[in-house]
This record gives sequence, C-alpha cells and structure tokens, in this order.
Amino acid sequence: MTNNNEKTEYWRWLEYKKVRPNMDPKKAKIITAGVDVGSVGSKAVIMLDGEIYAWSVMRTGSNSSDSAKKALGWAMEDTGLTLDDFHYIVGTGYGRVNVPMANRAITEIACHAKGANYIWGPTVRTVLDVGGQDVKAIKVDQNGKVVSFLMNDKCAAGTGRGMEVIADLLKIPIEDVGKVSLSVTEEPKPVSSTCVVFAKTEAVGLLRKGWTKEKVIAAYVRAMAIRMSELIEKVGCEKDFVITGGQSKNIGIVDRVEKILGVKRLPVPNLEETGLDPASAGAIGAALFAKALYEKSLNQ
Amino acid sequence: MASEIEKGTKYIPEMTQSEIDDLNKSMKTSSLKVIEDNIEKMKKSWKDRPQVMEYFDEISNLFGKRQEEIKQQKATGKKVIGYSCIFAPIEMILAADAIPVRVGSGWYDSAKLGDRIMPVEVCPVIRSTVGAKMVNLSPFLELSDAIVMPLTCDGRTKLSEMLADHKPIWRMNPPRVKDDPHTLSMWKQEIMVIKEKIEKLTGNKIDRKNLKTAIEKMQQATKAFRRLQELRKGNPVINGRDAMLVNQTSLWDDIERWTQKVNELCDELEKRLEQKEYSTYPDTPRVMLTGTPMIWPDSWKVPNLIEESNPQGVVVVDEQCSGDRILYDPVGVDEWTMSDMIDAIGERYLMACTCPCFTSEHGNEDRINWIIDRIKEYKVDGVIYYVVRGCILYAMEYQRIKNVLDKMNIPVYYLDTEYTREDVGQMKTRVEAFLEMLEARMDI
Repeated sequence: MTNNNEKTEYWRWLEYKKVRPNMDPKKAKIITAGVDVGSVGSKAVIMLDGEIYAWSVMRTGSNSSDSAKKALGWAMEDTGLTLDDFHYIVGTGYGRVNVPMANRAITEIACHAKGANYIWGPTVRTVLDVGGQDVKAIKVDQNGKVVSFLMNDKCAAGTGRGMEVIADLLKIPIEDVGKVSLSVTEEPKPVSSTCVVFAKTEAVGLLRKGWTKEKVIAAYVRAMAIRMSELIEKVGCEKDFVITGGQSKNIGIVDRVEKILGVKRLPVPNLEETGLDPASAGAIGAALFAKALYEKSLNQ
Repeated sequence: MASEIEKGTKYIPEMTQSEIDDLNKSMKTSSLKVIEDNIEKMKKSWKDRPQVMEYFDEISNLFGKRQEEIKQQKATGKKVIGYSCIFAPIEMILAADAIPVRVGSGWYDSAKLGDRIMPVEVCPVIRSTVGAKMVNLSPFLELSDAIVMPLTCDGRTKLSEMLADHKPIWRMNPPRVKDDPHTLSMWKQEIMVIKEKIEKLTGNKIDRKNLKTAIEKMQQATKAFRRLQELRKGNPVINGRDAMLVNQTSLWDDIERWTQKVNELCDELEKRLEQKEYSTYPDTPRVMLTGTPMIWPDSWKVPNLIEESNPQGVVVVDEQCSGDRILYDPVGVDEWTMSDMIDAIGERYLMACTCPCFTSEHGNEDRINWIIDRIKEYKVDGVIYYVVRGCILYAMEYQRIKNVLDKMNIPVYYLDTEYTREDVGQMKTRVEAFLEMLEARMDI
C-alpha cells in the first residue's frame, strides 16, 4: 500500500463469473435465470433444470436495466445461450422492476429465503441478508418460504455501501476490511453513529485522536455487527442460521455477529465447484422461482 | 393572563404575506396533483369502476366543490365547526344547524413547515396540521369558526395550543381509563360543555327535536356505511382504496347526500356481487390495515403500494379512525328524551372507541377484540400495522396486538414511515415481500 498512489480505489471489489464444465444446455428441458440487481452488486444465475450452470457477480452501474443486461450477458458468455433460449427469467433486488428481460419480479426477501434453502438445505430457519444498502433478517420454513422478516430503515450504515465508504476513507482494500478489523487484540468501543455519514465523521475524529486504522475499522465493523444482531434478535434467531448477501464475505461482520448471538452460521459451501455463492443467494432464489413459475404456466 | 413579555402568537411564527401566498400556492398545486394521481391510480386498478365513484372523487378534491358549498352556506350565516378527532359529537353540531368538518392534515409538504417550530420527533400528523395552518392550506380549517379538539395524545394536546394562535379551540378531555365507574359521567360533562359552546356560537338551542333529527341522520349514515363494509366481507367487489375514500369523504361531505350516494354505490355493488363481477381477482391476499390514521390524500401512499404491488393485495377492512371506525357505531337511544339521547351520544363516542389512548384493567382490550372479530369476519390473510414515527400510542400497542395475531397464526407487518415520499421504493420492497409471504401461505 502506498500513499502516493492516490487513485487506488480501495472500495472496488473483485467481479467474477463462471460456467460449470460438464453441463450441456442443449440437453436441458428448462432453462431459467435469476437476475438480482442490488444497489451495489448485480448478480445473474443461469439454471439448467434447477441446477446452477453459470453465474456472474458484478458492480451495479447507474442504470438498473443496463446492469441487469450486463450481468446476465456476462453469465451467458461461453455458454452458447441466447436470450431466446430462456424459458423464464425472474428479476429481483432493488432494481427488480427494471430487469427488461424478466418475465416477473419477486422481492429479494423471498428470493434470499429460497436461495438459502437451496444452498444450505431445509434446516435453515434464519437468514441474515446483508446487502449493499439494507439488512434483512428473514425467518423461513423448511420449504424456503418466508415466515416473517424485518428490514433496517433507509440507511446504508453497516451494509456493503457503508463498508465501501469506510474502506476508502481508511485506505484498506475492501476485501481486507473484515480481516483487518479482526487484527485488534482487544475490541474497541463501537462507533456510536448508526448513519454512515456521521460514522465517517466519527472515524476521522478517532484517527485524529491517534487510533490506529485497525482499531477504527474494528470499532466501525463492531457497531454494525451489533445493529445486525439486534435485528435478528427482534425477528428471533432460530437455528440453522445463515448469512447471505455481499457482506457474507466480510469475516469481521460474520465473526462478530456469531459471537454476539452465540450462534454459529452454517459454513459457506464450495463456491468454485458448485456455484452456491451466498452473495448470489437472491439470484439463485430468483432462478428457482423462474423454474417453478414456468412449470406452473405449463400446467395452466 | 399571559405575561406582558408574551405578545403576539404563542407558537406560530410571523411570516410575510408573500411567503405565505407562495407556499400556499405551491403546496396547493402539489396537493391537487396528488389527488389527481391517486384517483387516476384507483381508476386504473379497477376496470369498470362504478360511475357513482366519480361523486366521491369530486368530494375528495379538498379545494373543490365541497369547499365552495361550505363557503356559500357560511355566507348565509351558518357556522362551521371543525374537529380534529372522531370523538367530537357530530350529532350536536348537526342539531345546531352547523357544518361539521374534520381538519386533520394528511399533507406531507406542510409537515416540513411544522418542522420550523417542532422537532422531527413529533408525530407528522401534528407537524403537518400546524404547517397547513401557517400557510392557510387547509380550506376546512380556514372555514372553521371553532375547532373541537379532544386531547387524545400528547401531540394533539399541544396542537390545540398552537392552533389557538389563530382559531377558537374547544378542548375536550377524554378519560383515559375506560372502566372506572365515573368515566362515563365525566365524559358526559365534557359533552355538555361542548353543547353549550355550540349553542352559544350558533345561537341555536339544541333541543329534543333537532337532536333526535340529527341522531337519526347519523344513524342512516351508519346504516349505509355498514352496508358498504358488509360488501367487503366476500370476494372483492370494491377495492380497498375506493372504500377508504368513500369512508373518509364522510368527514367533510354533507352527510345526508353522502348517505344517499353510498346507498347508490351499494345498490350497484350488490348487483355485481350477484353477477360475480369482482373489482380484482378473488384469490388476491386480503389485507387489514390498523394503526395511525391514514389521511387523504398523501397517506394513500400505503394503500396504493398494497393494491399495486406484485403480487397484489386488497385492503378489505381497517381498524383506523380514518376508516372503519368513523361511522361503524350508531348512537343507540332507548327513549327519545334529552337525557337519554345525551347518554347515548356519550356512550357511543367513548365506550365504542378502540383508540389506543385508552386503557383499563385489561388494557385496551376493546381494540384487540375488534381486530380479532374483523379478521374472522373479513377472512383477513395478513395485517399491516401502519405507524408514522412519533405516533407513540400506536407504536407501543403493537407488541400486544402482535402477540395475539401470532397466536392466531395471522402474519402482521409493522410498517413504519414518515410524512415523506422518499421512502416509497424501500416500502415497496417491504409491502411486496409481505404480500409474497401471504400468497405463498395461501398456496399451501
């Protein structure tokens, strides 16, 4: 890390895509996709007969419909598929109504519940989805159906966007935020502001007071983990407990939420091979809904 | 006696006439747009909306026909008596040949003006009402010769002082404990005080004859109102928003004409029920609303979201003082003596009310019972508990209602919001997720 490289975008996270080998779309009976346009990340998942075939995760641009097209287009690369091949597409996330190729929009709350059920199986009861701009605590049944849910208010603190702002301020690459926040020997007092704008001001103040970057980031991440835990406790934390959304990768958040709640989340599956990416749980759920809705349309 | 130092208004700041005029103009324009948009949305959602609904659309224009009518009647010497809450004894106002109008404000824009003299923690209904007064936005408030203000919460208590800067305010002190032996007699005294004030203002004595006529008029209104609510129990023949609009216009319309129009609407809807012509799909999730009053026009934000969501919901019933509570209960008189009629008015406004300002040995159990009964009668699939920030009584009673609904296995969602349009996107996600959940439950 260098101080003279002013232009480094510390907040920028890695975009990725993958097509699973040994699967043939030509043999598939039902081809569906889920496109999750979040406030920070856009995710697309392509399924062949309900099994994940290809996926992409990229940054959402200023235009929801372009982001949807780009994410799905990227996932389709190297698959030989065209848009006409899809039997049904479901849009979800913040920009769900602006997914031009979608047959239907379903909220990310239902999609994360469904996706979590698919990723971890029918024992999942509580899902914490930490997205780019909001946090949702969702209770689900054995079929992946939403039983109840709570959502934080309109505020980016403690979410993906908040983490980006703080990563940029402290010049810590976003992928390292969680790890760095855990490097303190003793947990500092959490920042008191629940608004990312004020939290940023507070962080600057702490730096001036002589706090190390590690301590400041720990104070921020801890405050956010406390907020999330409060939300889960309000909805009632039943096992099995899982975390989805972009922040499921933030070990600083995950570790602290587990400690505060006294509950371990189910481990993240092997993403590279299976495509079971907790960050894409919404898109996975959407692709599954797409299959179910297509089948329903055949029966009508 | 106010102190010598305290000259001028106590709360409302001085504003220049040009600032008042500018703000009034821009808020009125924006409100007319909201009214128009709401009506357009209702029309779009309900193909074959009965023609008689156009009558209620017209009355819903707060700056339109009804305002002009009241102005004309006022010019002939009639008095206008505003009221801030449905505890005000309407029958007495009618008996004295005065015009009753409700003056609570549903304007989002004027809440920002209220912020000049109150912190944002105060309920926006209060901030908005004061803001409307600051720029003379509310035609009915401006036309009122006096305002009856039952002090049902802290916000309304201080609101009565703020509005007193410009209008004669008649406060009513509703008892908070419903089951004390002296509760009813205390409330009747409050009503007698209001009676005298009405008589003094109008110069008309409230007597046995005119009070009986007024009670009968309101009983007819209740009958029509119940007829409409009855129609919402089965497959939807009217959308929730339209029924809510009908209910709410009763608060400022001529009540006899309103009754007649509601009956016309019901004639049409009963025909449609027979012919199975529904306003929306019969398997649409059935939603009940409860909580803070949803005041026309801006608060249509929530029912618009519910009934335009995908999946769609339909509001079949509510437990709000801006809706099903307005006219549900008739004044039940045994003997048409003056004292019996006054007793009956007292009981109707106090004992039947489910407002969370009350408590008793068993808390506000009347509200719980009302909600449970309605859920069963209207086959409610889920409840949206609507609260604006700062509405403490409704916010605090949520947990008790939720505990009961959990036991009944009826999903309830706490939808908190503000007098703002900025949170519509986020609220849409919440409302849609709730309706998806209801739909998924129905699939099982």
